[in-house]
Amino acid sequence: MSWIPPLLVAIPLLAAAATAGLDHVTPQPVQDALVIGASAATTALAFVLLWHAEDHEVVHWFGGWQPKHGVALGVDFAVGPLAAGMCVVIGIVVTLSLLYALTFLREAARLFDALMLAALGAMCGFAMSGDLFNLFVWLELMAVAAYALTGFQVERLGPVQGAVNFAITNTLGGYLFVVGIALIYARTGALNLAQIGKALAHGPAGGLVIVAMTLLLCGFLIKGAVVPFHLWAADAYAVAPAPVCAVLGGVMTDIGLIGVARLYWTVFAVPFGQGHGVGDVLLWLGLVTAVLAGTMAFLQRHLKRMLAYSVVCHIGIMLAGIGLLDTSGLAGTELMFLAHALLTASLFFVAGILHVDHGLIDELHLRGRGRGCWAPAVAWFAGTIGLIGTPYVGIYLGHGLIDDGASELGRSWVPALLWLGSALAGAALLRAGARIFLGWGDDEDELLGRAIEEDPLERAVRRPILVGVALVAVVLGVAISVVPGLGQRAEYAAGRFRDTSGYAARILHDRAMPAPGSLPVTIQHTSVDSLLYASGATIFALGLAFAGLYRRRMPRALAPPVRVLHSLHSGVVGDYVTWVVVGTAVTGGVWAILLR
Amino acid sequence: MMVLGPGLLGLGSLFAWAMAGLPAFGDYHGPYGFVLNRVVVPLRHTTNVVMGTTFDVRGVDTMGEEFILYAAVVGVTLLLRDETRSKQAERRTRRLPNDTARLVGIAMVGGGLLVGLWLMAFGYITPGGGFQGGVLAAGAILLLYVVGSHRDYRPFRDVHALDPLESLGSGGYVIVGLAALASGTAFLTNLFGLGTTGTLLSGGSIAILNWASAIAVTCAMVLLFAEFLETYVVPLEPEDSGS
Repeated sequence: MSWIPPLLVAIPLLAAAATAGLDHVTPQPVQDALVIGASAATTALAFVLLWHAEDHEVVHWFGGWQPKHGVALGVDFAVGPLAAGMCVVIGIVVTLSLLYALTFLREAARLFDALMLAALGAMCGFAMSGDLFNLFVWLELMAVAAYALTGFQVERLGPVQGAVNFAITNTLGGYLFVVGIALIYARTGALNLAQIGKALAHGPAGGLVIVAMTLLLCGFLIKGAVVPFHLWAADAYAVAPAPVCAVLGGVMTDIGLIGVARLYWTVFAVPFGQGHGVGDVLLWLGLVTAVLAGTMAFLQRHLKRMLAYSVVCHIGIMLAGIGLLDTSGLAGTELMFLAHALLTASLFFVAGILHVDHGLIDELHLRGRGRGCWAPAVAWFAGTIGLIGTPYVGIYLGHGLIDDGASELGRSWVPALLWLGSALAGAALLRAGARIFLGWGDDEDELLGRAIEEDPLERAVRRPILVGVALVAVVLGVAISVVPGLGQRAEYAAGRFRDTSGYAARILHDRAMPAPGSLPVTIQHTSVDSLLYASGATIFALGLAFAGLYRRRMPRALAPPVRVLHSLHSGVVGDYVTWVVVGTAVTGGVWAILLR
Repeated sequence: MMVLGPGLLGLGSLFAWAMAGLPAFGDYHGPYGFVLNRVVVPLRHTTNVVMGTTFDVRGVDTMGEEFILYAAVVGVTLLLRDETRSKQAERRTRRLPNDTARLVGIAMVGGGLLVGLWLMAFGYITPGGGFQGGVLAAGAILLLYVVGSHRDYRPFRDVHALDPLESLGSGGYVIVGLAALASGTAFLTNLFGLGTTGTLLSGGSIAILNWASAIAVTCAMVLLFAEFLETYVVPLEPEDSGS
């Protein structure tokens, strides 16, 4: 089955070339069928790949350049169940977004489709690649496609500004990453991840490796919008069309985390795996991200900005899961990735529907306008409950596994902070839903700052398609926590992903990794603590949402910190660059102290 | 600024710390470069090891890079599209005042094209390749605009021809890879006869992939230039257009 991995890249890329190249030739329906068909076929193949990857790591050496005597010359895709699962959910989200865009974005549709397919191929390649430089290639391809997709509505100034902020910040991340590659290559003379790990096994790591790790991981964290590198996300999401947001927020931003996990467990676990220094920094970055972005979400009134911070908040939780450096944490991150991608996509789809229906995207302006739209309302509330992680809904199972990992390591305070983050973001979404779909609360709120200028969206859409796509996404996302056997499979997949020496032996010497025993097909039970935390987070979110709707005046003590938070998220790209520089320097400095 | 200064200082010191750990100049230990230098010529019959690496050993990287260029061109077309822009508007004709300069310029168009084609064709034998040659050829076509006028350049930027050609170049790369996969070997395996080292008929797939990227890059660059020109060259006012 080693022929499947290259197809997950080749099919979307070939279809991208075909759809733009045949723009003037083939009729619209044929084009639509080609685009949706290519994306659906990629998703289906990813499912087949997942099936096979559970038994053994599926490895494909491009050009047939297999390693000789343990030296890898070629480029490989190495796919375990974790990477294959990512490809499946990437395929689902992109396919749903393309269906949504069928009537949502008619102008320049061919160019849009070509870029979406290029991004799909790039994301799959990124999830599967086992080569450092190859990772960079896919990272850049998805970034270039995403910049253009973000600025799609060129006739307005806002989108161009948002896309420029996105492009400058992420290009800077690309520079850091490529300098990191150069440093690592100068030291090890290798680009294959397993080979680099092997080369770093001997002797002390030293400053070069610490700095290279800082640059490489910070490159991914910028892509992943982790605090303090997160500032571009809200600007970009606010202006991108809804189906683009669904892909950006659902999978493309979060995928940076997979890069972090991949690099850590193939390369940097070799020199630094004895201690917890690398993981602790990631854990703390994740905790700060979860709480800060959750708070920021609560302070937004623009729905897409609110969702952007909700995405960043959950990325923080997932990064904390990786930072625990154990199997439970990584498995939890994987399950959260799956549920979060689908739920976030569905919420962006609903935001797009509201934008089309009313020409508005502002919570306060939309107050009461969604009354009677029961299908979007159901999708919104179900998606929100799923994102909070109410027991046995949505991200709950993944979050519970991260909790388990934290308490096994004796860090029982970690889950409390993480649940606080998702409750804050969830409260914002609940408040917005109640205001829009139920007409509750006031139509003024000084906490939320000024309205951002809105562009009415005049489109002749087929509403049933939009609503249907949103409902499909939300149902899939909500169900993730109760799929029998999924928890055990995720733990097995995470265990395989963490097996640094087994991976290297499989890649460089073609030795088989141990196959799983029979995995039980039951719904995984989480600990009592998680159940309590999840219930508490739900109640807290409900209470906070009510407070947001009905309190008369903002408590005076809150005013200064809120002002500081708003002013830090200035929208000025120079500030963003400053934070990238400072964030990278501080992260590297801490690692230098911890790892020397 | 108050934050940026210390930040840059910190990043700079980290970088200096990393540089101190680099091996000395010329002291290369890695297996990668040595092995490639040793195996590419005998195994692939291309005397340009760089091309053997980029189009064969690491061919999939080049495929991704070609699509980065492709996505960039599609993105520029998307971002610079302007529904209000009149397709019929004649662009201002601006000729170089000096005939000698024009003659030299026109000669350089031919020369540039020739060098571009040479770089493409002999890329796997001597330094060069499809990417480099493509950029040069497209630059030569752009010279037409510099020495002549937009009108002279326009026949070369027919999107009905360029779009399919560019897609053929990029898609062709993928198709070569898929052909190898369909024949039961790995994606992008070198399927074709390797020929005699040092001749144009050597390298097998490398030659085909080289031409695919040459086509894709030439078209991409011409399209890019055309998009920028369309946007930034001031259209003539309707009343001037007859003169």
